[in-house]
Amino acid sequence: MVHSQAAENPSAQPFPTARPAGCPFDPPAPFARARAECPITPLRYPDGHIGQLVTGLETARSVLADTRFSSLPAGKRSPVKVPGSELSTDALPAGMFVNMDPPEHTRYRRLLSKHFTIRRVRELRPRIQELTDRLLDEMASASGPVDLVQAFAKPLPTLVTSELLGLPEADRAEFGRHVDVLFSLSTTGEEMQQSMAILGGMLHALIAAARKDAGPDILGRLTVETDLTDEELLGITIVLLIAGLETTTNMLALGTYALLRHSEQLAALRADWSLMDDAVEELLRYLSVVQIGPIRVAAEDFEFEGRSIRAGQVVTVSLPAANRDPLGFEDPDTFDIRRGPSRHMAFGNGPHQCMGHHLARLELAIGYESLLRRFPRLELAVPPQEIGTREMMVTYGVLELPVRW
Amino acid sequence: MTRIEIEMDLCCGAGACVLAAPAVFDQNDDDGTVILLDATPPADQREAAQEAAARCPTSAIRVV
Repeated sequence: MVHSQAAENPSAQPFPTARPAGCPFDPPAPFARARAECPITPLRYPDGHIGQLVTGLETARSVLADTRFSSLPAGKRSPVKVPGSELSTDALPAGMFVNMDPPEHTRYRRLLSKHFTIRRVRELRPRIQELTDRLLDEMASASGPVDLVQAFAKPLPTLVTSELLGLPEADRAEFGRHVDVLFSLSTTGEEMQQSMAILGGMLHALIAAARKDAGPDILGRLTVETDLTDEELLGITIVLLIAGLETTTNMLALGTYALLRHSEQLAALRADWSLMDDAVEELLRYLSVVQIGPIRVAAEDFEFEGRSIRAGQVVTVSLPAANRDPLGFEDPDTFDIRRGPSRHMAFGNGPHQCMGHHLARLELAIGYESLLRRFPRLELAVPPQEIGTREMMVTYGVLELPVRW
Repeated sequence: MTRIEIEMDLCCGAGACVLAAPAVFDQNDDDGTVILLDATPPADQREAAQEAAARCPTSAIRVV
């Protein structure tokens, strides 16, 4: 079956991950070639399955808004082998709504959305500013260069998320260590399962504590206001962690790197902080850190944009490619914080569009501005060619970002 | 005249419409879903409402 599929599609290419030499912010070059041919093209998966790759902006939007492209885990596969992608999804807890379709998905989404509305997120601003300033105080007390990833980009979203979930301060260090394991490049399947088990235990304890004495945090509210089971709360918490931590961390660090490498843009921002929100939007578009997926599986046979889609076919959307589509953006490969409003899809589209997008935008705006204001002479502490990137991970970014000021 | 229609079953509570057209849309504090403040907004709100419709991730908003 695998062979006949491949024979039918000799043109199907594997999913590219290598970034162009010397251009760490640009998507792998084969995406632009595929997009120039067609916004949706055959894609070869590591096990020989032939599915589709979506690189065009409007097609990506359509695929993610069309629930015939299902989010259910059955038959889903990653276009590249990344840490953890070989783990079975059979044992996933209930409540992992990222793996659901409407209307089941809608139920969870509505229970959670109230905690991520614009109004709710705006109320968090002073607290996020306080956590940010505290981290920057610590960073400023160091004399030599520091790794911005460890000193700032990782702890900020971890602190914000810990508070949202009501994780006691005493548990945050251990919690952070195991989350690190999940997102590390060098993690083996065994280590990942071990850390998942420990995190599962910690989260179960957290849920039990919330049931006894519900605080004002999200978990506390969910135990009081909904009839979600412990198992569902566990799944929801895991989704919030996966969605909220790695993405924001990598946007903070890679975004700072991009600003430091585009000195004219950085100078413009420093001269006029009212450009900050536009700069965040442009960084989201230009960097599109979610580099593998979203992934969907066709639930039926159907015609889509002139192409026959067969039930079971796996479709991978490339957000970095979509966000560089010349049909959607003028000079798409130019980083320009004065670009103005753009309908980028860094947060995806459709019912699964990132629920935390208001929160992410706020963390990024506060994070970049506070960092740059605190350190007016912030610069790289190593030559750019020494800065390694995360090519074989779901979320792109820098491994380390040594800076001085 | 501008008239706005919403398909509530599709709304996923993203709040993109509120950012695009705050005079026309609000977000329900209980579940994040859209609240239509003005189903027949004045002409000067039409463009913002169209932008909101275009930004809605589930195409739940129609401007007619």
